[in-house]
Amino acid sequence: MGSDTFTQLVDANYASLYRFAFSLAKNQADACDLTQQTFFIWAKKGETLRDTSKAKSWLFTTLYREFLRGRRRDIRTTALEDLPPDEADPPAPEVDVVSAMDAEVVMAVLQEVDEVFRAPLTLFYLEELSYQEIAEALDIPVGTVMSRLSRGKSQLRAILAQREKAARDNVIPFSTQKLRKTP
Amino acid sequence: MNNEQARFILRAYRPNGRDAGDAVFCEALRQAQTDPVLGAWLAREQAFDTAVTAKLAAVTPPPGLREAILAGVRVSTSASRPWWRLAPWVGMAASISVIIALATTYWIRSTGPAPADLDQMTKFALADPFSAHTGPHADKLGALGAWLENPASRISAAPPVDLAQLKAEGCRAISIAGHEVFEICFQRGSWYHLYLARRSDFAAGKTARAPVFVDQEQRSAVTWADERLVYVLMARGGAEALRRIL
Repeated sequence: MGSDTFTQLVDANYASLYRFAFSLAKNQADACDLTQQTFFIWAKKGETLRDTSKAKSWLFTTLYREFLRGRRRDIRTTALEDLPPDEADPPAPEVDVVSAMDAEVVMAVLQEVDEVFRAPLTLFYLEELSYQEIAEALDIPVGTVMSRLSRGKSQLRAILAQREKAARDNVIPFSTQKLRKTP
Repeated sequence: MNNEQARFILRAYRPNGRDAGDAVFCEALRQAQTDPVLGAWLAREQAFDTAVTAKLAAVTPPPGLREAILAGVRVSTSASRPWWRLAPWVGMAASISVIIALATTYWIRSTGPAPADLDQMTKFALADPFSAHTGPHADKLGALGAWLENPASRISAAPPVDLAQLKAEGCRAISIAGHEVFEICFQRGSWYHLYLARRSDFAAGKTARAPVFVDQEQRSAVTWADERLVYVLMARGGAEALRRIL
């Protein structure tokens, strides 16, 4: 692949890949690492991909695999069977509420969604991949993607509603994301 | 298909309309057009999805990421591409380069290389655009890898380093001003990058045994030395992240 073509590939995808990485890794530095690593692997192996129209899907798949590989092995991905029952019709905040929020706040809310739902949900909202391509990228069946999108959206709505209520009640929301382990 | 089933399917329907031609959604979309309750639900769902999508699109990557990707990959591919995959003219150019390199090596050996510079090595570690876990990681390095990732190990306590093994299996071998530097990427909660060089490459008195900390933007490094090696440990969690494992 020529350097111009590679630059075009980077320009077309690095921002979306970074957003996906940021939602998974929950911090900028690791998200940058994951994005860089994904393009590095492309530079090494991507030329073997015959169907270049699948480059985007390949990049998201690779980033997700790198995320899983880099994570500590002892952190178990929660299986769907272990999840609590879905909340019945969680209170849905108005669209205006989402629109009024800063992008960083919405990203922080997305990062609070369980990882098992967060990966397909972020890919869905990036709008780069279809549900079938998301299934391929995450290596799960199509039906599971739909199920996780459905439940992920419920969880996202519930967290947004909590944030909205906290803001209305003038309460500072508790965010697990900001907790850092101390030595 | 009842409305609950239609909702289940339509939750995977992207609001930008790219899925409109997908047969899986067609029946559910037709149902939403004829059923006002389902239609109203879909309108709300699409509006919500559009709002979240817009917010996600507004999250901007940090400045410099694009340039780091391009620069890092350029450096890597030019260094790692096998010569037999290059065009013939590039092969000829490579041959000329080899001749020049051999001549330079001969000249350097006859005049003696300049001593390695710890400041230069530290600056490289802090600015390394490619410290992105590019090669095999510590978990592929046997005893040394296990030692580095063991929470009980103090990194400054003489790691069991075999330079020959590192050269063959380490994350990366870099040449800084003609001196070999080896990088190992390992995890202790977050990523760390350890750069090692032979102490004999440095001028006497230019390396300190005691740790010296340096910060640069979001990265921090600590340097120290033992009898045999000079170490630079880099992390993104500030000096505290380094002290925790030192």
